[in-house]
Amino acid sequence: MELFNNLILGFGVAITPINLLYAFIGVLLGTLIGVLPGVGPVATIAMLLPITFNLNPVSALIMLAGIYYGAQYGGSTTAILVNIPGESSSVVTCLDGYQMARQGRAGPALAIAAIGSFFAGCVATLLIAVAAPPLAEIALKFGPSEYFSLMVFGLIAATVLARGSLIKAIAMVVFGLLLGIIGTDVNSGVLRFTFGIPELSDGIGFVVVAMGMFGTAEIIANLDLKDKREVFLSKVTHLYPTKEDLKRSWASILRGTALGSCLGILPGGGALLASFGAYTLEKKVSSHPEQFGKGAIEGVAGPESANNAGAQTSFIPMLTLGIPGNAVMALMIGALMIQGIAPGPQVMNEKPQLFWGLIASMWVGNLMLVVLNLPMIGMWVKLLTVPYRYLYPSILVFMAIGVFSLSNNPFDVLIMAVFGVLGYVCVKLECEPAPMILGFILGPLMEENLRRAMLLSRGDPFVFFQKPISLGFMVASAILLVIVALPTIRKKRDEAFVEESK
Amino acid sequence: MRIKNPKDFWAGLMFIGTGVFFAVFAYANYQMGTAVRMGPAYFPFLLGGLLAFLGLLVFLEGFAFEGEKLVLPFNIVDLVIAIAIFAVLLELAPRIGLSPDWGMLAASLVVSVLTVLYRPNAKALVLISVACLVYGYSMKPLGLVGATAALVFISAYGGHEFKWKEVAILFVILILFSYFVFVKGLTLPFPMWPAAWS
Repeated sequence: MELFNNLILGFGVAITPINLLYAFIGVLLGTLIGVLPGVGPVATIAMLLPITFNLNPVSALIMLAGIYYGAQYGGSTTAILVNIPGESSSVVTCLDGYQMARQGRAGPALAIAAIGSFFAGCVATLLIAVAAPPLAEIALKFGPSEYFSLMVFGLIAATVLARGSLIKAIAMVVFGLLLGIIGTDVNSGVLRFTFGIPELSDGIGFVVVAMGMFGTAEIIANLDLKDKREVFLSKVTHLYPTKEDLKRSWASILRGTALGSCLGILPGGGALLASFGAYTLEKKVSSHPEQFGKGAIEGVAGPESANNAGAQTSFIPMLTLGIPGNAVMALMIGALMIQGIAPGPQVMNEKPQLFWGLIASMWVGNLMLVVLNLPMIGMWVKLLTVPYRYLYPSILVFMAIGVFSLSNNPFDVLIMAVFGVLGYVCVKLECEPAPMILGFILGPLMEENLRRAMLLSRGDPFVFFQKPISLGFMVASAILLVIVALPTIRKKRDEAFVEESK
Repeated sequence: MRIKNPKDFWAGLMFIGTGVFFAVFAYANYQMGTAVRMGPAYFPFLLGGLLAFLGLLVFLEGFAFEGEKLVLPFNIVDLVIAIAIFAVLLELAPRIGLSPDWGMLAASLVVSVLTVLYRPNAKALVLISVACLVYGYSMKPLGLVGATAALVFISAYGGHEFKWKEVAILFVILILFSYFVFVKGLTLPFPMWPAAWS
C-alpha cells in the first residue's frame, strides 16, 4: 500500500504544530477574503508571496493553498446572506442560496454549502493522492516536444474556458508570453526588451504583474462602481438542515463533487467553471426544475460541492506537470520558484514531504473550515458591514509593502502601478487578464522547450506531430478550438457566461 | 466604415501595436538565428507577428459585429495625454536639480492635481496608481510613516467619500499594523521616519 504510506507521511508533515498553524492562517485568510466581495484569492496570494520567502516551502504552500480553497467556503456565505458573490465562483450560489435566506432558511443553506464543500474536499484530496503519482510518472518521460505541445494545449484550453471573445483570450496569452520573454535570454545572454533599465535584466517579477493586473486593477474597477452594497442581515437561527433537506441534496453533492473534480483537472478549469457546470447539471437532472432560482437546496449543494472539488483538483496538473491551469496555480508555481524549487513531475520524488504534506493539509484544512464556517458564522456576517472605503486603502498598503519588500526597490512598485493601469484597460476592453498571467509564467518555458525540440529535430517543425503524445496534445488543442468555433456551441458558451455574469 | 464595437476596436489596436512593436524591435536589435539554432529574436518575432495578426482580427471584428458601448469614465485620449505629461515631467525633473525619487514624486503630484481639477472622473484610476507610486518612491526619503500616510490619504481621496477623520483613524491603524507585523514581526528593513530627521 504505497498510497497509504504516502498519506501517512503526508499527515505526519501536515499535523506538525507549525504546519497546522499555517494551514489555519491560510484557511482563515481564505474565508476572510472569500466573505469580502472585491478581494479575491489571486490578489491575496500574490500579496503574500513575498512573505513566503521567509517560510519553509511546505508551510508556504500549505498556507497559500488554504487561501484558495478557504475562499470557496467564505464566498458562499456572502452569496447566501447578501446576494453578492463574495468570490466569483459562488455567483450561482446567489441564485438559490439567497432565495433560501429570504425564506428564513439561511441556516440550512449555509450548512449544506459547508457539508457539501467538506465532502467534496475530502474526495478531491483523495483523488489528488490517487491520480497524481501515475500522471507524474508519465510526465517524467516527456521530452521538449511533448512539453511544448502540452503547454500549447494548456493555454488553448484556458482560453476556451475563459469568458468573452476567444480571439481576444488567445491574444492575451500571446501578450503574456511576450512579456515573459523580457529579461536576459538564457541561451545567448542577450538582454531582451530591457531598454537599458537594469531592474529589467531579470525579467519582470511575476508577483508584481499579478498584483497589478488583479489587485490594483480590481480596486480601480470597483471604485468606478458606486458603493451600493446593501446588507440584508437575515438572522441565522436554526443552522441544521432537516432530514428532507439532506435527502434532497445528497445526490447533488455527489454529482457536484464528481463534475467539479473533472472540470478542475482541465487546464483553465478550477472553481469558477465547476460551480457553473454543476448548477446547469442540477437544473437538468432535477425532477422539479421550476423550483430553481426560487430556493431549491440542490442549487446550493451542487455548485458549492463542485467549486470546492474543482479548486482542489486544479492542483493536479500544477503538482504533476508543472503546468498552471488557472491564475491561482500560476501563483503557486511562482511560490515554488521563489523557494528555488523547479515545478514539474520531479517534485513528487524529490520532495515527498512537500507533495504529500500539501495534500494531507488540504484534508486538515477542510476540517478546520467546517468549524470556522458553521459555528462562527456570526463573526463573518459582521465583517460584511465593513464599507469598501476602509477596505481598499488597507489592501493597497499590504500590496505596496509586499511588492516593495521584494527587493527594496521602488521600481517594482512602479511596475505594479503600470500593470494596474493595463489591467484596468483590459477589463474595460473585455480582455480577460487570467490567460495573460498563464502566458506570462509559461513564456520562458515554452521558448526553451521549443528551442530544444527544434534543435533535436534539426529544425523540422513536424516533430510536434510525429511523436504520439505530442500529436495527441496538438490534436486535442485543434479539436477544442474547432468545438468552440462551432456556432451552436459558441452560442451555448456565450449564454452560459452571460447567465453567470448577472 | 462605422465602428460597431468600440471595445474590439481599441483592443485590436492595442494588440496590433504591441505585436508590431515586439516583432520589429526584436528583428532590428537581436539575432534572428535559424529554426535549428534560434537566436534571441526568433521567438519574440514569431509571437509579435502572431499577436499583430490576432489583433487585426479583433480590430476587424470591431467593424463587423455590433457590440456594447465602451463605458469609461474618461477619454482614452486623456489617458494618453496624462501619461505623456507624466513622462515629460520625469524628463524635466533632473534638470531642475531633483533626485530621481523626488522627481517621481513631483511628477505624480502634478498629474494627480491636474486630474482632480480637470478630469475628476478619472480620479480612481490616477489616484490609485499614483498612491502606489508615491508609496514606493517616498519610502527612502520619508520613511514608512510618511509613505503609508501618502498612500492612505491619496488612495482614499480617489474613492467616493472622503472624510478626514475616518481616513486619519484608518491611517493610524494601518501604520501600527505595518509596524508590528512587517517591521517587528517579519523584520523587513524599512526606515520608520523621514531620512532628514536622523
